[in-house]
Amino acid sequence: MGTDPLDLLFTPFALPFMGRALAVMLVLAVAAGVVGVLVNLRGLEFTTDGLVHAVFPGIAVGFALGGAQGLFVGAIVAAVVGAVLLTAAVRAAVASDAGVAIVLTGMFSIGVLAVSRQSDYTGQLEALLFGRILTITEGEVAQTLVIALLALALVLGTLKEQVFRAFDPTGSAAAGYRPLVLDLVLNVAIALVVVAASSAVGNLLVLAVLIVPAAIARLLTGRLVLLFPIAAATAALAAWLGLSASFAASVSSGVSLPSGATVVAALVVGYLLALGVRAARGRPRAVVA
Amino acid sequence: MTSALRISDGAFGYGHAPALVGVDIDVEPGQAVALIGPNGAGKSTLLKGVLGLVPLLAGTMEILGRPRAHADRSSLGYLPQADDLDPEFPVSLEQVVLMGRYRSMGWLRGPRRADRAAVATALEAVGLTARARARFGTLSGGQQQRGLLARAIASDPRLLLLDEPFNGLDQTNRDALIETLQALKERGVAILVSTHDLELARLVCDRVLLLNGHQVAFGDRDDVLTLDNVQRTFREVQVELDQHTFVTPGHDGH
Repeated sequence: MGTDPLDLLFTPFALPFMGRALAVMLVLAVAAGVVGVLVNLRGLEFTTDGLVHAVFPGIAVGFALGGAQGLFVGAIVAAVVGAVLLTAAVRAAVASDAGVAIVLTGMFSIGVLAVSRQSDYTGQLEALLFGRILTITEGEVAQTLVIALLALALVLGTLKEQVFRAFDPTGSAAAGYRPLVLDLVLNVAIALVVVAASSAVGNLLVLAVLIVPAAIARLLTGRLVLLFPIAAATAALAAWLGLSASFAASVSSGVSLPSGATVVAALVVGYLLALGVRAARGRPRAVVA
Repeated sequence: MTSALRISDGAFGYGHAPALVGVDIDVEPGQAVALIGPNGAGKSTLLKGVLGLVPLLAGTMEILGRPRAHADRSSLGYLPQADDLDPEFPVSLEQVVLMGRYRSMGWLRGPRRADRAAVATALEAVGLTARARARFGTLSGGQQQRGLLARAIASDPRLLLLDEPFNGLDQTNRDALIETLQALKERGVAILVSTHDLELARLVCDRVLLLNGHQVAFGDRDDVLTLDNVQRTFREVQVELDQHTFVTPGHDGH
């Protein structure tokens, strides 16, 4: 492979494992971008963090019991249970930030304890926390695709109602929309994206895939209809550039850059650039609304 | 004629401590009722009680001839207080008004021609057609209130509930809002409007409900808005009545 920048951007993905990684990341980009915009509009970043960590014990137990196949099953069970519990807790007004933090750290510790029973404790924990996108199998690609599409369908099927609730919760309830139903649908969609993304970017970094693209979109546009495509496109671009940079660094320079972390770094660079664009336009406002 | 709203000995609130008791009202189509009382009197509680957002703890309620549990929600329009909304939310005035059509559009469906026409008509009714594409948060407080009224109108309601719609309005917006409410009444829409403004109640409303944790008085505007009733409703506050300013005494006579 040459050092031509275009070569670096396209050639790596002719390799099967890189092609699979890009396919997974592009699917995740669209799902996480769209779901993430609703997280941003609702101000649910911390609750999302709680859901991310609630999924971890499911991933850990599933992996311990059934390897990579068990990972998805365990994660989905934990995701749905976590989404229902958090939705119920918030509805019952018992989930203050402290409450979410207790759920978050408590569930995470359960996951670590589950993984610690394994012989290759450190290696497996690292894979779960930081992802293993380059070793993902074709079967996992299909699983990720199905789960991400399910999350996308849940959100797109209730999109206008979710936006109504985000804008005016009282008006939405007054119109007859049940807050519990809408919250449950959104939380399950978030949890499914977390499941879909966990094997790719890992449980610790999945939050960035959900939060940063939407934050970038909020900086770049004030138009609702543009938020969703901008967030999805930003996430897709960061995935592509991050994977390319990771591959190029490893092959050309002998520097090992974990792919998931490089994708997240690309997202953060994108956020800083969006901040610059915003500042250049001279429209000061809250950075992440 | 079927009442737009009928409440008999209604009590509203959460748990064992109702915020409002003893509500007995009957509102006909085309009537406007002013809900008047001090802060915490139960005005918003009553509106939310009609909407089903606050439980009815005692008594009975019928909305457009049906018990509340079976009321047609699409026949209710609601205007919340605009200052509860996030001014940074990336949504245009037109999109906010379209929210009033969501119930009739149904799940999984986008707006059809009839929905867009209803939005255009509602915006025209409140005089904001020219600002349709403006971001909602960039509108003035008065324009936001009129925009939310347009959202309520777009749902084609038969019973309209307005929570302090005149707060912070300048004269132009106030006049525009009054004109819109008069037109709605003429179309047979029943209106419940909470307000601190007694003068406004005189201009728009046929009937008045005085509240202070309980129903103090209800009836025709000129029968209810007496100094005695207002004194029983408010405590040591300044009120304007018949172009005179009064300071009402407390219950102990001070």
